[in-house]
This record gives sequence, structure tokens and C-alpha cells, in this order.
Amino acid sequence: MKMQSSMRYAEIKTSTPNYWGILVVLAVIALVGFAAAHHMDTEGHHITGMTNQVVWGLPHVFAIFLIVAASGALNLASIASVFGKQDYKPLARFSAVLSIALLVGGLAILLLDLGRPDRLIVAMTYYNFKSIFAWNIILYTGFIVIVLTYLWLMMERRMHRWSKPAGLVAFIWRLILTTGTGSIFGFLVAREAYDSALLAPMFIVMSFAFGLAIFIMLLMLSFKLDRRELDDSHLQRLRKLLGHFTAAVLYFVIVFHLTKLYGTQNHDFERFILLDGGVYTLMFWFFQIGLGNLLPLAMLYAPGLQRSNPALVIASLLVIVGAFAQLYIIIVGGQAYPLNIFPGYIVESRFFDGVISEYTPSLWEFLLGIGGVTSAVLIALLGIRVLPIMPEGLPAEVK
Amino acid sequence: MLACLLGVLPGGGVIAADATASSFGEVMIPSPAKPADANTCVEPVEVMRRDHMKFLMHQRDATVLNGDRETKYSLVGCMDCHNPASVSEEIIRYENPKHFCAECHAYASVKIDCFECHADRGLARSEQSSLTLNAQSRALSAHTFSHKLEQTRGD
Amino acid sequence: MATELDNIELRPARRKFLKSAAALATTLIAPGIILYKTGHASNTSNKNPRWGLLIDTNALSESDVDACVSACQREHGWESDPNSRTDAQWIRKVKLTDPESGHQRFLPMMCMHCENPPCVDVCPTGASFKRDDGIVLVDKHTCIGCRYCMMACPYKARSFIHETLKDQLPVAPRGKGTVESCTLCVHRIDRDGSNAVPACAEAVNQGDRKAIWFGDLHDPQSEISQRLQALGAVKLRADMGLNPGVRYQGL
Repeated sequence: MKMQSSMRYAEIKTSTPNYWGILVVLAVIALVGFAAAHHMDTEGHHITGMTNQVVWGLPHVFAIFLIVAASGALNLASIASVFGKQDYKPLARFSAVLSIALLVGGLAILLLDLGRPDRLIVAMTYYNFKSIFAWNIILYTGFIVIVLTYLWLMMERRMHRWSKPAGLVAFIWRLILTTGTGSIFGFLVAREAYDSALLAPMFIVMSFAFGLAIFIMLLMLSFKLDRRELDDSHLQRLRKLLGHFTAAVLYFVIVFHLTKLYGTQNHDFERFILLDGGVYTLMFWFFQIGLGNLLPLAMLYAPGLQRSNPALVIASLLVIVGAFAQLYIIIVGGQAYPLNIFPGYIVESRFFDGVISEYTPSLWEFLLGIGGVTSAVLIALLGIRVLPIMPEGLPAEVK
Repeated sequence: MLACLLGVLPGGGVIAADATASSFGEVMIPSPAKPADANTCVEPVEVMRRDHMKFLMHQRDATVLNGDRETKYSLVGCMDCHNPASVSEEIIRYENPKHFCAECHAYASVKIDCFECHADRGLARSEQSSLTLNAQSRALSAHTFSHKLEQTRGD
Repeated sequence: MATELDNIELRPARRKFLKSAAALATTLIAPGIILYKTGHASNTSNKNPRWGLLIDTNALSESDVDACVSACQREHGWESDPNSRTDAQWIRKVKLTDPESGHQRFLPMMCMHCENPPCVDVCPTGASFKRDDGIVLVDKHTCIGCRYCMMACPYKARSFIHETLKDQLPVAPRGKGTVESCTLCVHRIDRDGSNAVPACAEAVNQGDRKAIWFGDLHDPQSEISQRLQALGAVKLRADMGLNPGVRYQGL
């Protein structure tokens, strides 16, 4: 019988200079990111690499990554509350905090990249309910409220019995949210790279993997900062989960491309991604499949590495690298490939019809993206400092 | 931009403005230029001062969504009257503190973003408008517009 | 299993503060849905006109199409550098080459003013909308510049304004951070109705020659409808079921 009823949670102590050092660095980077966004707003987007052909770029890769990871980060809490696996219960609070932090970071990037970010009030009050984007605005803000409520219910002893239904609500909401995020692309009939029902479930599985990878790294980091005990048995569970989720992502990628390859009309697009798309092909095979899927799978399942913490950390990092590559290919590659308006003809125009569009990310976009990531990590690290989120210790389980 | 608009006199341009300031250091009460050939605006001044935004906000939806143009409250109409050749030979742009809208808005310290998109001068003073492609059509339009304006002033 | 621990209030003052802060925040944050726009005109009856264009590509030489583009530029006050990836392009000259025969033709491409526009479907604020008379426009007062409509447009008709603009024309307000596209010269249509001639059509219809027809697709007696009945036309990407208002002959 596990000792979960006597699990104590406590704030991370700030006696370590490392903790403050990390926070300061993160805060500075986040501020630089916001300054970059301000510059983009005053100068206009011509200073970025985004154009009329590739309208969404690096900031959106970062933002979608954070939003997808946010949804997945809540997974551990869901496994505890919804599926009743008590082993994961100690991690549930941090899971909730991390998911909120990541979502806020992702939303910040999206909002700051808008052409008219001063019109946020318009976005919050004028809704076109046929637009999945409009639904996403409601889903994202609702997610924050729901998860905050869920967190409170978990932490408030007297309300503890409500945490299970709250967890179920959060779980379902999160599935809808991630479906909505995948459908941003899946609903676009105009582009060959999108227009697929598979994108929504693929994003859900991606969220499991990406969220867990970040969770593992931050869990290990914060326990190390505060010198709390983190027994291998807990990490074993997370290691296995990350392996399963990464394998599932690979499965969806294979099915997606195989399906597109089957239809002759998609051959040019598939050739672009898989063979002669230059940077996109390199990213696909080396970064996404190689570093993002195959190598982590090897490291997570290799019998000799089952107790290796460094292997777990590296595998998590690699999953994140693969995540960025995958999202870059989906978001930017999907736009770089030209629209097929005149099948059978060679098309040329001054508006770059018929050619692969070039896109070179600018420094400003990178800074904005990094600013969002650091904001998210900052919020998470601050959260565990001011609230009793982290378990005081995760010792070896008593069987 | 606002900092330089407040209390700064522009150079050049023949402008029939009456800014009242009896000594150095007093705040300039705005007195935006009115066209020489018109007596009244489409509404009395007190009404316009308070409610011009209401009229504009309603009008913009009417124009964009329904296509009602060249009506009493059209922004192009405002600019036609308030930035005409009779006031200043040189076209006054919004960045110039003597622009009709800029004068009061700088005084009230209310930033507006209309002119990020909208032309800050009227039809007659814009180069390459559709009306210049067809001079007759242009004369017809200007006549129709001023006729409409006279009708509304008569109300 | 309840223990004494369950009844102990840890840090009561902070709990009180957090409770009241949460209550205040919830009441402040609840978003009010002030305006509900679906973006689609509610009427589908044929009593309203539906404006459309019919472009005869056989009658258009390369310089004709260039004239279309220049006319639109002069009318609305936009310009574009040929090497610029960020300049707006309301209408563009497209060169089609048949790879087998080598035959070339030129045609102007602009917003297709679809009956079922994907750009209207995806706009989160409803800024991208279709008027009752079929013209698809962007309400730039409501546009937040998210560029999702540009992702959704099957014809790449829309442009985002990447820099501060000066010298906008009164008939065509346009500004940084919003999205725009061909308006079918809506300012002319609002003034002249079915007698209107969009700038691109005016540029190529010289004298007796006509290469671009403008008119009411719902009126079987209009010139455009009659020409469509007689000669038919092609809708670009017809398989998508969007029923564009701009159609081409000669393709």
C-alpha cells in the first residue's frame, strides 16, 4: 500500500544561488523576447522573415510547441485523477502548474505576433464560431481557468474528493483543445500539406510526448536544485511512458506520409518533404525521425540504459528537438510548398506562384519564440517556489 | 509624437488658425482650421465635440458592411471639408500638429489610429484617385457630395 | 482516512487572500461576447445581386494584364516591387505555360469572391466577411492580423501589410498589421451599381473590345450571364466547391 495519504508537498527553497541565477537569466531572455515583439509591432512584420507566402513562421513553431506540450503536460495529473493510478499522484500538482505555464508562454507568443496585438479585446469579444481559431481562443482561456480550479481542488484538503471529477473535466477539455490545435491545420482544405483528419489525433499523441519530455527535465532539475530525493523507480515509469508516446508519434507520422504517398496527386508534395526539399528533407530525416524518434527510442528502451538518468535527460531533449523539427516542417514546410491552382501547367508570377517559397527566420522571431519558452519555464519555477507543488521527496516505494 | 505635438508651433504654411495664448508657457487651446467657404459642420459644434466618435463608429460599420458611402458622417467627407485648399495650400498631414484632428486630439491627449489606415486628406487633394481617371465622373461625384452636404445642412 | 492534520489550517491569512483574489479575478476575466458575427450573409435568395467577373484569357495579351495590375495599383494606391516578398499584391499577372506544347498565356488573378469562402470560415473575429451582394471583404477595423485567412485561401489572394504605410487613398484605407485583398472595386460598385466598371476591367475594355466583363451573376439578362450561358467558363479549383464569382474563359 503506497503512502500517498501522508505525501507532503513543500515549496522549493530558495537558498540555492543557482535557483535565483536561473530565474534571472530566464527573466532577462523573456524581456528581450518581449522587446523584440515590440519592435516587430512598431516596425511592422517586414523585419521578420515571414512574407506573404510564408505567413506563419518561427514564432508559430514555438507557440504551437508550447501549446501542444501544455496539453500533454497535464497528462500525469490525468493519469492519476482520471485513470486512478495512484503512483502518479505526487506528480499531479506539478503537472497542472507546468501545463498552465506552458500554455501561457505559448499564448503570449501568438498574441504578440499578431499584426494588431492592440486589438486583443476585439479578439476576445468578436467571435466567428465557424472558425476553429475562435474556438481555440475559448479553449485556451478556459483551459487555464479549469486547470487552476483543478489545481486548487487537488491542493485543498477539504475539496479533495472533487479533484477527480475536475480531473476528468480537464482531461476532456484538453483533448478537445489539442484536437482544436491540430485542426487549425487539419481543416485547411487549400493546402496539400494539411487537409487531413489525421492531424488532430497526431497532435494529441505529440502532446503526450512533448509535454512529458519537458516535465521530466524540469522535475529532475527542480529536485536537484532543492536536493530532494528522487528515486529511480519513479523515473522508470516516466521513462517507459516517454518511450511509448514517442513510438506512437512515429506511428502517426508513418501513417500520415504513407497515406499521402498512396495518392499520385500528392507525389510532388511528398517528394518535396521526403526527397528534394532541401532544408525540409534534412529536418525530416535527420532531426525529426533520427534525433526526434529513433535515437530517443533506442535510448529509452536499451536494456543497458534503463537506470541511466543522463540517458533519460538526453532522450527528453532529443524528443524536444524532434518536436521543433516536426512542427517546423508542418507549419513552414506546408506553406513553402506552392498551391496547386493550375494543375498540369507551369505557373509563374510576381507573387511567387508555382515555386517553393523561401523562408529565413529572422532574429526577432527567434527572440520572441525563446522569450515565450523562458516565460513558461519562469512561471513554472516560480510556481513551485511560492506554492507547495513539489513533493518533499520521492523515495523508493514501499511494496 | 505626442510630446512634440503638445504646445509646439509648426513652421511654414499659411493657416487661418487662431490659437489663443497670451504669454509664453500657457497651454495652447486648440482652434482647428475651418474651411473658408462653410458655415457649419454636419452637426453643431457641441454635438460634434462630444459625439463625433459615435457617428464615426456607426458610420464605419454602415460603410464597410452595407456599402453606404458619401453620407453625412463619412470620414472622407470630414477630410474633404477640413483639409481643403482654402485653408492651406500645402496639404496638412496627420503628423503635422495643425492637422484638424491632431489639434484637438493632442490637446486632449487621446491617441487615435484612424490615420494608420485612412487618408488624412479628402478626395480632391488625393493624387491618383478613381475620380482622376475620369474627370467628368469626378466633377459629378464632387457635385453630388456637396449637394448632399447642403441638404443635410439645411436640416 | 482523516487525521488531525486534515483539520489544521496552514497559513490562514494567505489562504484568505488567495480566495478573494481568485474570486475577483474570475469576475473580471469572464469574457463578454459583445458582438456575434458568423461572417456569412444570412440570405441566399437570388433577389440580391451577386457581382462577378468573367475574364476572357484569349483576349488578353501580356501587356493587357500588366495594364490591369497598374490600373488596380493606381486606383487603390498600392505598389509592389518585383523582388519583394512582403509587398501587397491585390491582383497579379500569372503566366501559364503548357509543358507539352509550350503554349503560353497570361491572366490576371485576384480574389475569387467565392460563394463559400474559406477565408470567411476561418477568420476568428469575423473580419473577413461576405457581403449580401457576394463581395468578400476584410473589415480592417476588426482584423487582428493573425493571417489565418491567408493560410486558408486556395488562391493566395490575400496580402498582409508588413510596414507602416503613407499616402493611402481615401477610397482604399489600408494599414500595417491588417490583411487585404481585391475588393472588386466595391467603392465604385456602391456608387454605380451594375453600371460600375472595376479598374482592371476598365483598363482592358478599350473602345469596342471587351476582355473582362463585370455584372450581376444572379441576373440572367445581364451581359455577363448571357456570355456565360453562351460560352461557359472555368472556375479555378472547382473541385473545392467554393463557387467563385470570378471565372475564366480560354483555360
